[in-house]
Amino acid sequence: MLEETGLTGAWPTGLDPATDASGSANQSYLDAIYGNLFELGANGQTIDDLATGYTIAADDKTVTIELRHGVTFSDGTPFNAAAVAFNFKRDLAAPVGDTPKWPVSSITTSGSYDVVIHLTQPYAPLINTFHDANVNWIVSPTALSKMGENAFKLAPVGAGPFTVVSDTVSSELALKKNPRYWAPGEPYLNTLTFKSVASDEAALETMQAGGVQGYEGMQTPQLVSAFSQQFNVLDVPSTSPYVIQLNTAVAPFSNLAAREAVYYATDVPVIDQKLFGNLHPVTEGFTAPNGLFYQQDVPGYRTYNLAKAQAAVKAAGGVTVDLMATQSSVTQTVLEALQTMWQAAGMKVTIHVDQLPSVIQQFESKTWEASLQTAGAFDPAAGLGVNFRFGSASIFSGVHDPALDKIFANATSTLNTSSRQTLYDQAAEYISQNAYAPFLFPVNGWNIAAKDVAGPGLTTLIPASAVRPEILWAQVGFTSK
Amino acid sequence: MGAGRVHEQVTVQESSNRSVPAAGSDAGAAAAAPGSGGPSASRASRVLRSSLLRLAGRRLLTAIPVVWGVTFLTFAVLNLLPGDAAQALLGADATPQEVAQLRVELHLNEPFLTRYGHWLGSAVTGHLGSSLGSGQLVTTILAQRLPVTFELIGYAFVISLVIAIPVATVAARRPGGVFDSVTTFITLIGLSIAPYILALLLILLFSVDLALFPALGWTPLSGGLGANLRSLTLPALSLGFPIGCFYTRLLRADVIEQLGEDYVVTAVAKGLPSWRVLVRHAVPNSMFGLITVVALNVGTLLGGTVIVEQIFGLPGVGQELFQAIQTRDFPVLEGIVAVFAVVVVVIGLLADLLYAVLDPRIRYDNPGQ
Repeated sequence: MLEETGLTGAWPTGLDPATDASGSANQSYLDAIYGNLFELGANGQTIDDLATGYTIAADDKTVTIELRHGVTFSDGTPFNAAAVAFNFKRDLAAPVGDTPKWPVSSITTSGSYDVVIHLTQPYAPLINTFHDANVNWIVSPTALSKMGENAFKLAPVGAGPFTVVSDTVSSELALKKNPRYWAPGEPYLNTLTFKSVASDEAALETMQAGGVQGYEGMQTPQLVSAFSQQFNVLDVPSTSPYVIQLNTAVAPFSNLAAREAVYYATDVPVIDQKLFGNLHPVTEGFTAPNGLFYQQDVPGYRTYNLAKAQAAVKAAGGVTVDLMATQSSVTQTVLEALQTMWQAAGMKVTIHVDQLPSVIQQFESKTWEASLQTAGAFDPAAGLGVNFRFGSASIFSGVHDPALDKIFANATSTLNTSSRQTLYDQAAEYISQNAYAPFLFPVNGWNIAAKDVAGPGLTTLIPASAVRPEILWAQVGFTSK
Repeated sequence: MGAGRVHEQVTVQESSNRSVPAAGSDAGAAAAAPGSGGPSASRASRVLRSSLLRLAGRRLLTAIPVVWGVTFLTFAVLNLLPGDAAQALLGADATPQEVAQLRVELHLNEPFLTRYGHWLGSAVTGHLGSSLGSGQLVTTILAQRLPVTFELIGYAFVISLVIAIPVATVAARRPGGVFDSVTTFITLIGLSIAPYILALLLILLFSVDLALFPALGWTPLSGGLGANLRSLTLPALSLGFPIGCFYTRLLRADVIEQLGEDYVVTAVAKGLPSWRVLVRHAVPNSMFGLITVVALNVGTLLGGTVIVEQIFGLPGVGQELFQAIQTRDFPVLEGIVAVFAVVVVVIGLLADLLYAVLDPRIRYDNPGQ
């Protein structure tokens, strides 16, 4: 019997898309159990899975999702429009972070295989939101009703390539091939087991010991060469660049001169070179090379200039700043580099890396001053989009500018791609002009696979829709068998 | 101090039956050694039984405020940490409205004492509540995960004692000798190394280089005893080796002390082989200190499982505790710390009872002690 073992994160709230609060981070498990309606394929193309297509009506406000015929859930019940509509309504009402922000007025069905989404206004990123939202994973309504929510989230039933054998929450998830899976010959693997691992170092040793054949989302650049010696290593560019958020509502960054000082004092290429060996493309906006609407250079962007930084600090009457970040494998070193650079420009800088709940609390307090975070997504308007860091309505934003809100709103409701590109370019330029937040670079991740294992997302590149790229588990297999 | 070695909560009645042993006689040596019986054995046995019962009763009563205190402090500390379960579970991408809604659903909007009171009220009736995240009953989680952790700790203790007793015995026979010097060096390294560093080194050596043990995961007993023990050997060694080194140092010192006692000198003078005196008399009489620290180490080992279970991907309580802290899942956290507290109290009690079994002269007749 073939066995594939992958490694990834925690799922403390179970694996029901409507209650899984870590949904977008758990997409590997959810994809394996539920499949997707739409998948994000190579070169950023949306490819069909349980949905076979979609149409947008002339009013731009009615989207019909066409479903694959003849599919059943693994419990034998039919996968049809009624089931998908039930899921959409349930997911849209779910208090979890990956619920899409569709401007929806109603969800209806048309026949057995068409689901119709009625919107209150045109919404350009609708299909792209599927790639990192709970609506992409369809649960069996019958199984959910029979088992109840609490039992279902621990033994979920979907129409994906695998079914659940056992689930030890946040520790080990054992799956086996779904005999009712719709694609002939797939999945290639008979069993698939996910195990959590403590660190990238432990993952390396575990793979070297032969205990697992895959590792998803390695984040430590220093370990790339060690993994490369024995395994296939796939470089996975992030679609969310790091950004230094400045809280423009409070001092010191309510003052333009103080914000300019940060831009001029930050030598991004040096940070990339010294800390990451130039692994990451330096960006000046909220998009990244592997995402949509990428623009590397922004006209008029303020780049490193120590003399100008010192002058700006002086013009601001001195700058004292508290800089925070959420704990990750890279943030501590980046904060230390920023502190050194900013102090050289004459600023007084304190830094601290905090756990996520503490960071959220500081955002809620609205008294934070500067924060190193990531911004953007595959589609800037989908998922954790650019509004999350720059929209007036978001508590995680340091910018409260109606003009910028309007540009983003226009981009979200404009279906024409080149018009959207123009609007996002305008937004990046506007952010730069007002010195709202300097950008650094998207930090790559790496997917690791044993030499005899291959599959889309694991050994060939698929863009990261949210936290990490999808792996198409139905098509992952051993090349030697 | 030999016969005067006492546990901090027991008293020792001086034996009046020391007699010079017959030449070459174990019985004679045993009679001279602490812990041997005498003419008043029957009366002593009755006294012992009643004092043991009193001790057990007192300890079990003591456990109530201990467990309450631990759960209250845990609840209070968790309450002081930034963020709450609603934030931790929903993550950064949830809207404030979503967080507020979940906060109400989980009763996190209620005052601290009200929430603790609700939990305590349920807990005393045996209902430890449900996980805020997965919705699983805490008792189900404990039933699923405690066997892994208990087996790990038991295995770690076995490893530590298997290391400590023979090494300390041999080292104590010739203090300052080659074996003693080498083991002193090794045990000092063992005492200095953090379990998580040791864990990574063990994986490198025994999993990566020698491919003897798995680096990750747990095989249940249903998968075969051999596979089960293989999956737990490196985690148990990570926990057991450092404390085994500590026990070695402790036991070595005690054995050396015992070897200077009069009854040992007498036994040797009467012709008992020195190895026999060492193994049959000096070592058993050196065990009291070891029993004390073994009992005290239960709490330390339970804490150690949090890290070691993470590194080796063991689905035990330590791993669950780590997750519960991260997600501020207080019912799970409270359930685990309550069980840990009870285990530590019960093991402490068992250790005290074991003293009396090993040395009938020990009495627990003073409630103040």
